[in-house]
Amino acid sequence: MDDLAQGAVDYAMSLGAEFADVRIESTVGTNIVVMDGRTKTMSAQEETGCGIRAFVGGAWGFSSSNALTRPSIREAAKSAVMMAAAAKSKAKIRYKIKGSRAVKARDVFRCKERLSDVGVDEKVAFALSLDKSMRSVDSRISSTNSRYDDLEVERVVANSFGSVVSARESWALAACSAWARSEGILQRGHASFGSVGGYELMRGEPAANLGVEAASQGLRLLESKPAPAGRYTCILDNKMTGMMAHEAFGHACEADAVLSSSSVLEGLLGKKVAHESISMYDDPTIKGTFGYFSIDWEGVRAKKHTLIENGVLKGYLHNIETSNRMGVEPNGAARAQSYNSPPIIRMSNTFIGPGDRKKDELIGEVKHGLLIQGNQYGYVEPAKGQFMFKCDEAHEIVRGEIGQRYRDASLSGVILEVLHSVTGVADDFLLGDPGYCGKFGQSARTTDGGPHICVTNMVVGGLS
Amino acid sequence: MNVADIQDLAEKAVRKVMKLGASHCDVVAVDSSYVVAEIEKSSVKQSSVIKDSGIGIRAFRNGASGFAYTTKHDSKAVDTVARLAVSQAGAGTPDPDFKDLPGDARPSKVDGLYEARVGRMPPEAVVDLAIALTNSASTDRRIVAVNAGVSAGSCSFALANSRGFSKTQRTTSIESSVESVARSDDKMFSGVDGSWGRRLDRVAMIVSGRNAMEHAVRGLRSKRLPTGDYPVVLDPLAGGFILLSALGGGLNAESVQRKRSYLSGLLGSKIATNRLTVHDDPTLSWASGSYAFDGEGTPAKRHSIIDKGILRSYLHDSYTAGKEGVDSTGNSSRGGANWTYRHPPSISSSNIVVSKGDASFEEIVRDTRRGVYLRVTYDYPNLATGEFSGLMMESYLIEKREIGPSIQQSTIGIGCVDLLSRIDMIGKKQRDAFGARVPPLRISRARIGGSG
Repeated sequence: MDDLAQGAVDYAMSLGAEFADVRIESTVGTNIVVMDGRTKTMSAQEETGCGIRAFVGGAWGFSSSNALTRPSIREAAKSAVMMAAAAKSKAKIRYKIKGSRAVKARDVFRCKERLSDVGVDEKVAFALSLDKSMRSVDSRISSTNSRYDDLEVERVVANSFGSVVSARESWALAACSAWARSEGILQRGHASFGSVGGYELMRGEPAANLGVEAASQGLRLLESKPAPAGRYTCILDNKMTGMMAHEAFGHACEADAVLSSSSVLEGLLGKKVAHESISMYDDPTIKGTFGYFSIDWEGVRAKKHTLIENGVLKGYLHNIETSNRMGVEPNGAARAQSYNSPPIIRMSNTFIGPGDRKKDELIGEVKHGLLIQGNQYGYVEPAKGQFMFKCDEAHEIVRGEIGQRYRDASLSGVILEVLHSVTGVADDFLLGDPGYCGKFGQSARTTDGGPHICVTNMVVGGLS
Repeated sequence: MNVADIQDLAEKAVRKVMKLGASHCDVVAVDSSYVVAEIEKSSVKQSSVIKDSGIGIRAFRNGASGFAYTTKHDSKAVDTVARLAVSQAGAGTPDPDFKDLPGDARPSKVDGLYEARVGRMPPEAVVDLAIALTNSASTDRRIVAVNAGVSAGSCSFALANSRGFSKTQRTTSIESSVESVARSDDKMFSGVDGSWGRRLDRVAMIVSGRNAMEHAVRGLRSKRLPTGDYPVVLDPLAGGFILLSALGGGLNAESVQRKRSYLSGLLGSKIATNRLTVHDDPTLSWASGSYAFDGEGTPAKRHSIIDKGILRSYLHDSYTAGKEGVDSTGNSSRGGANWTYRHPPSISSSNIVVSKGDASFEEIVRDTRRGVYLRVTYDYPNLATGEFSGLMMESYLIEKREIGPSIQQSTIGIGCVDLLSRIDMIGKKQRDAFGARVPPLRISRARIGGSG
């Protein structure tokens, strides 16, 4: 694949590209869904293809093809250069991509048991066992879903800097949903586990316990009430702190949002944007995490990014384009969902660093507030500076004591206010569950995390 | 690939799968192409052409289904993926609830699935459209950036199954999105909008640009709102997004049969105001969710979901229909506006259509002394409980019967059945948004979590 990729880059450059890169991928994967004790769908994927970018005078052209013959890749390269030329004629922002040192490297994701060596029967048996474990928890579990996903990707990236890098990516993920019903009330609990690696991930306790976790949450929620709407002091658990880091701040730190004037953090580098107890990072290099990679999808070595240090905005996440436009070095944050999508700036493992308080102290100091636990989903519009995220469960806190359980609380905030409103950071750092982040129609595997934190004046949405 | 080749590929694959021991199967072969132009800060940033073709095979053994796909078309690759699908099915658990796939039937006549102008649109034309959209969203001096995108796609596909169904279809789609960012002193606000359809509607695209700009500018003036109950006027953008999930997801017969939906057991019951009538309609001309036959070959048909407040139908595919002994409603989906071979079919709404009322948008606002105009939210309800709680991403205060400043940092909470039941005014002008055709709607009361 290396020769094919290098040949396509050379061809694009010969047609007038000022910079070009190529990604060739070959992917196999499995997806199994079990519903109520029976397999619902079992899917296998086998795909190959390439995506080629050409840069001409401030504009990009991108072309993809599923065929991996030399003529079809050259055709795609030609198409990318033509697309760039078409865009360049109407581009108002002009800049150059300066040369960079070539990277030659290979990253093989560590796995003890290759996913493609494990038969579908064993994976089905695993998904069925998760389903069974949910239903065995309690007779009030009325319906169940278990899901198993895995993927192996062989990727080569070549570019006109002379970089040729390859990766063998491998990850597996399992998830459970359990619906609990009692006296006409229906609630859903869920749990997921996964990471980069091989099938050994599914042989450990965290995967085996998913069914019980999901069912237990569903049962707990039977006792819950809809969350009350209003302003509250909130204690966010590790998962919710991570989601806040990701949604409230991480997206606004993506340099493409900054350059398009779609981030409220534009022009704030070096300025205080958070309480001094807050330091925040995005680090794709943490091994054994769902957001792991060591070389990004543009062939740039990945590294830990310090986004906020002691409350001060320190940097943005960059790809080759934004780093050239902003006069800094690329820092390896570009990823693409697959070969047929262009690489864009993405977070990886995003987290707030630990503080020195104890979680119980933080809770104990709250006169009237909410303990917010577990993340469902969140989103942000960096241009408006607003974000929201939704939790799995919440508890009322009255004079430091945990009380009534609530469900479906949605928390919203303003990016430039929320991190100033942090009044305490605990020392119990934890990276949370694996998840997927959506941006521009592309999905990327991520993990978020942090310690418990206390935030004042959060707006909580609810029905009562 | 031409359409005849695609159909030949699908039919051959069906024969291959059946020889390998499947009891039933269906095969979709797809050849699609998209041209995309992206604008960043009013400048063309990237144009792309994405070609995607492949074949997806679903095989059944003892009622269990296996699915496999490949991006290759050669005989060896199709053979491999056929074996994979059959072996996946063989690894599944027997499912006596699976009855059969749809037989050969004449597709419905649906006008407006393919527009040659979109199907053959050159990259330069897509770039020009994106520029026109950007220009329409940037005429006010307070606009500091416009980010926009236009995507024009065409798709040829064939669907064949083991019961003799074999048909082809060509579709086009054109979508746009625009974000207009306004600044004034230290205030910043953005307005967003978009357009969806199967044919080029330049006017609608330009109007979406103006909408984004006008709301970006309007939102520069903002207020906080105290927590409380308020009447809420839903823009079609917000109404479409919420209803797509609340009804499209809540009426999914798979969820209903497994008693996972808040709408389980409510067929024939009153779940909405008498004023509300809703259809699922895949036969609308040029709408992005339209098709002549669904993802399993069932002919497209318009059917009533809510008739004057009464729940009339769930959304079925052949599996859920067979399980319940009813006819499929033709809601098996193979993806969005254009089909994909990458996923097995699943139940989805086509075009959710809320019938028109008799009030203009202006009349609805004038009838609201003090309330909220919710234009954009990206939240969806908890389908188990039917409770909806989310951020009002773009909303405005209605004061003295006029739309006023934007509302900062507020949430909305309401049960879906309450939402449907408390609709007390319905607009007379519908708009397509996110796969729904919806007029403005007013809810008499919802809980607003404010920051004031």
